[in-house]
Amino acid sequence: MKHPFRKLILALKLALISFLPLLAIDADAQLTARANHDHITVDFFYHGGTVSVSGISDPGTDLVIKVASEDAHQNLRKKGKVGGLLWMTVGELEVENVPNFYEIFSTKKLDDIISRDEMEKHGIGFPALRQHAVLNVATEEEKSKWFDEFVRFKSDSNLYAINSGNITLSEKNGMQNYYILTRWPYQAPPGNYTVTVYAIKEGKVIETATSNVNVEQVGIVKALATMAKSNGALYGILSILAALGAGFGVGLIFRKSEGAH
Amino acid sequence: MMYLYLPVALTSINILLPIGLGLAVGLLSGLFGVGGGFLMTPLLIMMGIPSTVAAATDSNQIVAASTSGTYAHWKVGNVDFKMGLYLLAGGFFGGLLGVEGIKILRAMGNADFVIKITYVLMLGTVGTYMFIESLQSIRKTNTDSAPAKKDGKVGTFLKSLPFQTEFIKSGVTHSILVPLLLGCFVGILAAIMGVGGGFLMVPIMFYILRMPMHVIVGTSLFQILFTCIEVTFLQSYANHTVDFTLAVLLLLGSTIGAQVGAVFGRKLKGEQLKILLAVIVLVVTVKIVFELTMSPSLLLSQAGGH
Repeated sequence: MKHPFRKLILALKLALISFLPLLAIDADAQLTARANHDHITVDFFYHGGTVSVSGISDPGTDLVIKVASEDAHQNLRKKGKVGGLLWMTVGELEVENVPNFYEIFSTKKLDDIISRDEMEKHGIGFPALRQHAVLNVATEEEKSKWFDEFVRFKSDSNLYAINSGNITLSEKNGMQNYYILTRWPYQAPPGNYTVTVYAIKEGKVIETATSNVNVEQVGIVKALATMAKSNGALYGILSILAALGAGFGVGLIFRKSEGAH
Repeated sequence: MMYLYLPVALTSINILLPIGLGLAVGLLSGLFGVGGGFLMTPLLIMMGIPSTVAAATDSNQIVAASTSGTYAHWKVGNVDFKMGLYLLAGGFFGGLLGVEGIKILRAMGNADFVIKITYVLMLGTVGTYMFIESLQSIRKTNTDSAPAKKDGKVGTFLKSLPFQTEFIKSGVTHSILVPLLLGCFVGILAAIMGVGGGFLMVPIMFYILRMPMHVIVGTSLFQILFTCIEVTFLQSYANHTVDFTLAVLLLLGSTIGAQVGAVFGRKLKGEQLKILLAVIVLVVTVKIVFELTMSPSLLLSQAGGH
């Protein structure tokens, strides 16, 4: 029997089938992200901490976790060869639109799980950062060279890092649990950091979830840092008086100990 | 390991490092009357301290070390306060001129190159001259630590200047213009180079002002003390780069080092002190030459400061 609308129904069915997976993902979408130890307090004995990020994602998705501070303006000194012989400061490098802190973790190597376009779109990976960055240099070639130097400089002080294959995955009740425990470098200055988790399928980001990490100075550390910034004159005078006192004090102690024998 | 977090440097450091470094630099300071910034600042940077904080905190630390050292030398009558004050007055103006001078030189372009080369040549020349000269006087064991009696043209010229006055502690007579101008000259260089200038001041006091070596060390420390008080204040006030916690760790070592250096220096003859200083000046020269010619591992560094 031939139904007059057979073709139409077939088309609808086809459309439904092809959209189903997408609908299904949306319906099951439950990427979650939670940063534990998300409030890091910095006192005198602070030597870095640990941060763990965990959550649930769809089975079979790859994950990229980005921890970054807000984009900022950064000033650095450039070294170069002068007269073909001597290394010295040759000017300032100004870098705009890049975070001071940037770390990436992923289930596999970035290039194996996510397309270049998506990386650029979501600011994942150093090439994507370079794309966004604005440097005070004349040519693209120069930009590329100095951005690489910038990344080396940041990596050297543990502020930039890209790690892959260090997210632990486990299946539970048909869902995928992910977990990562990472050392938080003491070089990362106080401030707010955003943790963004990207769920990736077939090279595309299908979902994101965010969380925060806050690093804050407390107690005397905070008092000293605040005073140094907001009351430089008094801070300077106190520093000088303390140094004078210490110098005299040690002088007196030595005089006594010398007089003793 | 015992780590301490530094609130201004925003980094954590093993406390044994700054204490040990302070001890070594304090020793040099008490022995030779130099501030030791040439050694301290680059080593602090190597320990992960931002360069601007390293330089500013070093001056705070030198306040303590030079107080300790001046005190030790003053006890045995080795500080010529009168000479020190004239040099200081000159150095103060020199510093102001130097800061303006940098601006002019920078505007002319390629100034850093010229300044660095000049500095290296000057240090190298002074070091070599001192080394040879003190070697010769050590060989002539009979001659005492006083420099050769021949006054030469420079000596005659200095004697012909007006405002002659006697510096009792040093046992010399000079026109007040001499320490004023020399202080000014070192002040200009120190401001331009961003270093204290002890390495130039000590040889100048010996060869031009003809002061005895032991009084030179004490007087130089006295002068450095005031310069560093000024620098510490300005750095705290304008740049907020003094890390007091780090300074305390450094001065724990340096104040003691300065005392030990002063005691040890008293046991040495002027000539021996001089030749040791000459060796150190030459080592520093070589170090700067290396720094300038070897490819750095990182082409970028923290900006700010001078």
